[in-house]
Amino acid sequence: MNQRQRVFRVGIAGILAGAALLACGCKRDVPKTPPPTMAATAPASGPASVTGAGATMPAHPGAGATMVNSVGMKFLYVPPGEFRMGSDPAEPGRHDDETAHDVKITRGFWIAATEVTQAQWQKVMGLNRAEPKGENLPASRLSWPQAVEFCQKLSQAEGRTYRLPTEAQWEYACRSGAAEPYSGGKLEEVAWHMDNSGEAPHEVAGKKPNAWGLHDMHGNAAEWCRDLYQRDLGPAQAVDPAGPGEGNARVVRGGSWGHFARACRSAARASFNPAYPLDRIGLRVIIEPKSPNPSSNP
Amino acid sequence: MDRTSKNTRLGRRAFLAGAAAAATFTILKPALVRGTEANSKIALGLIGCGGRGSWIADLFVKNGGYQLVSCGDYFADRAQGVGKKHKLDAANCHAGLSNYKKVLADKVDAVAIIDPPYFRPAQAAAAVQAGKHVFAAKPIAVDVPGCTTIEAAGKQATGKKLVFLVDFQTRTNAFYREAVKRAQNGDIGRLVNGTSNCCYPFIFGKDLPADAEGRLRKWGMDKVLSGDIIVEQNIHTLDVDTWIIDAAPLAAVGTGGRKCRKGDDVIFDYFNLVFEYPDGVAVSFHSRQFGAGPDGINNVMFGTQGAIETHYEGAVRIHGKAPYPGGSTGNIYEDGAVANIATFADSIKAGKVDNATVPPSVRSNLTSILGRIAAYTGKKVTWDEMIKANEKLIRNLDGAKD
Repeated sequence: MNQRQRVFRVGIAGILAGAALLACGCKRDVPKTPPPTMAATAPASGPASVTGAGATMPAHPGAGATMVNSVGMKFLYVPPGEFRMGSDPAEPGRHDDETAHDVKITRGFWIAATEVTQAQWQKVMGLNRAEPKGENLPASRLSWPQAVEFCQKLSQAEGRTYRLPTEAQWEYACRSGAAEPYSGGKLEEVAWHMDNSGEAPHEVAGKKPNAWGLHDMHGNAAEWCRDLYQRDLGPAQAVDPAGPGEGNARVVRGGSWGHFARACRSAARASFNPAYPLDRIGLRVIIEPKSPNPSSNP
Repeated sequence: MDRTSKNTRLGRRAFLAGAAAAATFTILKPALVRGTEANSKIALGLIGCGGRGSWIADLFVKNGGYQLVSCGDYFADRAQGVGKKHKLDAANCHAGLSNYKKVLADKVDAVAIIDPPYFRPAQAAAAVQAGKHVFAAKPIAVDVPGCTTIEAAGKQATGKKLVFLVDFQTRTNAFYREAVKRAQNGDIGRLVNGTSNCCYPFIFGKDLPADAEGRLRKWGMDKVLSGDIIVEQNIHTLDVDTWIIDAAPLAAVGTGGRKCRKGDDVIFDYFNLVFEYPDGVAVSFHSRQFGAGPDGINNVMFGTQGAIETHYEGAVRIHGKAPYPGGSTGNIYEDGAVANIATFADSIKAGKVDNATVPPSVRSNLTSILGRIAAYTGKKVTWDEMIKANEKLIRNLDGAKD
């Protein structure tokens, strides 16, 4: 089985697993007291789930399950699974810090369908330093500590665990089962990059989503990840990797409107000084379930 | 099964050369008995025992993964000097122009080719043909046919599951690698123009003997044996240019000449050129090998949103909207060679034969040759014209011993 087949198989397996979870639709797992200001929706073709503002979370989240949080951020559930992280040596534009290896993600998580917008950032942080201004433009000019602070404030407000994704979680979600350099379609269909962006950010979700419904994983704003950066991606087979314990730079993924296409590939890794608030770096957040049981609510 | 018995069963040479080595090869600790230790190491032949050759032989030995078992140089005194230092049998210290053939005929797994650049393509091709892993000093050739030979040898090596590594030191440095990666990603915007310099005082002196043996001993003064300073030394900075831009130049124009040295066969003192790259990117190149400071190898490439600045054994950084403070690269000259020697061993052990250093080395080598042709002719020369001309440099070595 080649790499592409392998990744595809893992992706399909993950989706099927998630769908199975949804299909069982066990209402008994719905918390008695819905989280405040959290709305949840089920995919149009998916199994029944509670909908409407202020309603409950999906009973059994699975691939395709969605929900909206207190500041209007839409989240999609990503089931656990395995994938091939990194890139093949023959992939055009690759750098040598992308050694391909197998990674297992043991816990599902919810991930925002889009990068955090300036409006969402403003609501949580009470300020917006991004330029140019635009409610639906991605938040930017924010340091890594500020991105973490955003997660902490949301967590405190909603009683959930908002975090930046690890770069393994990020690439798993970005690939959404695809082994190709860009997921969800051709480069121009899915990404704002230096050669098509006018060298400026664009409103989020202006391009096609990937197979799991995530927009702008390639380009628009680059996205801070949780990990410290190291060139070596780790062991040949890694389980829930979260980067090294020490380092100076934080991982940034996805490339941006100000980067060439090669930097927007699924496997492309960048690193920046966490203290630098740059015009091309924003964030996308995840919600980690409180329990390792993927059927539990986040 | 213990390591020793597995080694014995597979046969040491097959063990080193085959894919099976990837999972099972282990460098044994020096504390183990000598015979076992020797069998666990890569048997290395050194081709070229001059200044750098004898220096790098020490680094190979210090690595711990190699055993120097054979050496060769045109000059018997040089080969014997390395042999005596590393306790080689006299029968494994070879002299004459064909010394490399005798090294290849010895029981070696790999060769380090440090002979004058003029000889490297034929030696590397013969080594791959003989089934040896190749560690080649830069530059890998002095002319277009030589580069073509190296390119083919690299591909052939991959097909034969052999490692072929070209020893450019800058490419091993973490600050260079990170800064170049960021520039290639777009952190300095679109490339516009740049400058690159390679300036040093006299390295090989001023005079070139007329006889063949004299030329071979002072090969760095001979513009054919060395490829001239732009190929032999300035390639360091031109390699960084092509690395950052990630492309070969389309054309070069400029000049060069001698004010300190004399003689048609002698290297130039200086080169001043402009290289034209795709998308209208222009690089001004300046080199000197005479006089006194400021010395160094440095590159600055400007983009629409910043600049990358690199200094060999100095600061490497990115300026602009997405800055990278980088750091000081330290002793690249030695650290880079040490890193490449380690990578060479690791690649042999792991069966990693993508030989990724060969294509960029051929590209920067050809870039250096393009600049030399432009300076020699005083005309603008395109890459395509250079490739089509396929000029081969020939040095008459009548009188030299085989």
